[in-house]
Amino acid sequence: MEKVLLRNVDAPESHTLEVYRARGGYRAWEKALREMAPERVTDEVKASNLRGRGGAGFPTGMKWGFVPKDNPKPKYVVCNADESEPGTFKDRLLIEKDPHAVIEGTMIAAYAIQSHTAFIYIRGELSFGATVLQNALDEAERAGYLGKNILGTGYDLDVILHRGAGAYICGEETGLLASLEGGKGWPKVKPPFPATHGLFGCPTVVNNVETLAAVPWIIDRGAAQYTALGTEKSKGTKLFSVSGHIQRPGVYEVEMGYSFKRFLEEDCGGVRNGKKLKGVIPGGASMPVLRAEEIDGVTMDYESFQAAGTLLGSGGVIVMDDSTCMVRAAWNIARFFAHESCGQCSPCREGCHWMEKIFRRIEHGEGRAGDLDLIQSISGNIAGNTICPFGDAASWPAAAFIKKYREEFEEHITKKKCVRME
Amino acid sequence: MDPVKLTIDGREVAATKGQTVIQAAAEAGISIPHYCYHPKLAIAGNCRMCLVEIEKMPKLQIACNTQVAEGMAVKTQSAKVVEARRAVMEFLLINHPLDCPICDQAGECRLQDYYMEHDLKGSRFEERKERDRKREIFGPHVVFDGERCVKCTRCVRFVQEVTRTEELTVVNRGDQSTIALFPGKILDNPLSANVVDICPVGALTDRDFRFKVRVWYLKKTASVCPGCSTGCNVSVESYQNRIVRFKPRVNEAVNSHWICDEGRYCFHSLTDGERLSAPLIRQEGGLVPTDWETALHVALSGLRAAAPLAGIVSGRNTNEEAFLFARLMKRLSSEAALEVFYRERALTETEKILMSPDRSPNFRGARDMGAGTDGNHNSLAARLLEGKFRGAYLVGEDLAALEGDGGIEQRRALEKLAFLVVQDSRLTATAKLAHVVLPATHFGEKEGTYTNRRGRVQKLNAAVVPPAGALQDWQIFARLLSKMGDGRSFAGPAQIFQAISEEIPAYRGLTYERVGDQGVLLAGETKRL
Repeated sequence: MEKVLLRNVDAPESHTLEVYRARGGYRAWEKALREMAPERVTDEVKASNLRGRGGAGFPTGMKWGFVPKDNPKPKYVVCNADESEPGTFKDRLLIEKDPHAVIEGTMIAAYAIQSHTAFIYIRGELSFGATVLQNALDEAERAGYLGKNILGTGYDLDVILHRGAGAYICGEETGLLASLEGGKGWPKVKPPFPATHGLFGCPTVVNNVETLAAVPWIIDRGAAQYTALGTEKSKGTKLFSVSGHIQRPGVYEVEMGYSFKRFLEEDCGGVRNGKKLKGVIPGGASMPVLRAEEIDGVTMDYESFQAAGTLLGSGGVIVMDDSTCMVRAAWNIARFFAHESCGQCSPCREGCHWMEKIFRRIEHGEGRAGDLDLIQSISGNIAGNTICPFGDAASWPAAAFIKKYREEFEEHITKKKCVRME
Repeated sequence: MDPVKLTIDGREVAATKGQTVIQAAAEAGISIPHYCYHPKLAIAGNCRMCLVEIEKMPKLQIACNTQVAEGMAVKTQSAKVVEARRAVMEFLLINHPLDCPICDQAGECRLQDYYMEHDLKGSRFEERKERDRKREIFGPHVVFDGERCVKCTRCVRFVQEVTRTEELTVVNRGDQSTIALFPGKILDNPLSANVVDICPVGALTDRDFRFKVRVWYLKKTASVCPGCSTGCNVSVESYQNRIVRFKPRVNEAVNSHWICDEGRYCFHSLTDGERLSAPLIRQEGGLVPTDWETALHVALSGLRAAAPLAGIVSGRNTNEEAFLFARLMKRLSSEAALEVFYRERALTETEKILMSPDRSPNFRGARDMGAGTDGNHNSLAARLLEGKFRGAYLVGEDLAALEGDGGIEQRRALEKLAFLVVQDSRLTATAKLAHVVLPATHFGEKEGTYTNRRGRVQKLNAAVVPPAGALQDWQIFARLLSKMGDGRSFAGPAQIFQAISEEIPAYRGLTYERVGDQGVLLAGETKRL
């Protein structure tokens, strides 16, 4: 398979403008600026069927198309580089190894919606990535790809790098916008949507790093080449960050529709130390876990993961072998969400901590009959009832762990201890 | 204003485009429970109490942020909605202390009320509750209890959007989220205590009122704030015949949902202190109690013999009182000079949101009644103190205590008068100089009307009963008029208002009924705050 997203990362000095250009970089930018009307760029991305790689999978071209053309306010593009989903580290690789692809994708998106200021909101912890990106932005500006009257076309664009301050919720697009505006990272009630009332109340497109990094390839090669990859409904390729009890952890680019089992066993070398697979989370910590036997026949695309009762999400594959205590794993995830709940709406603010406290009790041998049904009930009362998807993200894994490993939870409660952690 | 038809719980409801479901429902008399929604603040959508089911939408929607649409079918009582509400109540209560018996909000608490309406279940929470700050002083009028807070952010939005003073914010995350003052700030803006009113729970309470009385014992009387000539609509709340607090009463033409702090607490200075319980007359250099018949007789004969006469009525007197006062003074002497006492002060920008520079709530109305014939703005008071008059009738204003130097000059001037009648609720410095002191009532004891600076006539109602021995101001004037042979008898403020509507052109055709509890604008006035 020809690599779309990881096409440059293995080249020496791939982060430099020189290497990027030598490998075809900024060809798409010049093509878009010189040969394509903004709407044509959006149409091409629509035709590619590229979907948002941040986790929600919303069609990218359609998102750009929602930006009103007659709105007199400035328009903004924001590259969401606040990658914080546990088990997910794909954007970080792109940022550090192929920053110009991220920048070029951001620039093309800005041109498509006729924005003259774009932002890259990078997770605060990624300080090295921020340095790499800033250097790349400076290089691009010196080369005339950014700034005033770009390449003599009369089009102006600035790209501003902004570092976050360490909250998971700022990866949620409206939480990110609130933070970028200088406020507390609290997601905003929708409607209105960012496409019409985004950053500073202006029309705004927020796209994930991986999404934008695919855009130059699509513009350069054409949508048809992109749609030639993947399945009928899930086009192109997707990055998966593989971690946990696996022989070869790392970031992999996979053509949509690839066998999940083959991916884990052959590409990633299987479960490490000869142990058996117990469960795997395919899309980052917020997505439902799959039991080992559930991955049979699952292919790596939006539809197949959904049919299996989970979601592709961010592509953060967390592998757990048979030594794993699933109660501890569930508690670990619950603790993360309890810590990261922004505290804005009642169900999530109170419910995440409540679930975490119960998981903690069960793991420490203080579980009670009824605890499992209680967590299921709390999780059901949070999901779907909050301002942003965080409520779902916190409740789905809790519910899935109990549903799929109920016997192990019950064992903790009846034996009043965790036999695996002894 | 395009009309939109929708159904709520099967009932057809007429709304207008752009309205939200919660607004359309409220107008149709269907109340959807909520904490964070407030009609005068931006939509926060955080409490999730107003979740409703909308046909064709898979998830429950918040009624506060969902706009009505033609043909929309809203369910506010479906099993899914009832369960979601119960769940929100459970979430809000898991870390809430069970201390209603010692919480001052009890009785007017949305957590209590909604628990009874929408929950009534035992808690399933058996973990350790999170702790937060207790009784943190936020400012001169407001105290905060973090454990009782539901983080609806109404207070934060109030200081951002209404006063724009930005003293409050939310700090920390998750269940550690809490309301806090910005470093170096205190909540001391001129409208600060409104956050107590909009706080739906016991998190923000009024330092002046709290622990004084349980709210279910309060008697609530619709009235008008006597603090200034804005005429904010208030509920005067009393217990055992004492006024214990003011609460704003919604009137979009005047004060919306708010009142200023100065107005809110002005009842203290207007009602505190010992009350006069009998008329006093001067005998052998001292004031001695007497009966009303004697006092009125002495007052009348004294005033008749003391021309030139000056009459000053307070800007806190009602239209009805000012009307009778003017009628009385003109009958005493056609040359009598009359004035409504005026008090003014400069305002800051934030104060200007509600407050009026004119601190006399009925200055305009009293002048409309003919009680201000003598120029404007205290020229009469000045001339009186210059010794231009021999007799004076002063109602409700303590002229001798006005200046910072203890009023020595004013006292000397007033002492020189041949005859001075003072009518007031307390034995003021001025009253001590009088030949006759007539015990009267304060704003909280009287019925009548005020006309605010914009020409809106509004009704005062008696919240408490005056002490035995005092008479209503109108009764005193009416009895004096009757002694002077005025053929018209007045049975009460309603009848006096009737006379006003006949005799004062601008008030022609007005009735008490039309004034109602929201007031009525005088002809020719434009409606604005």
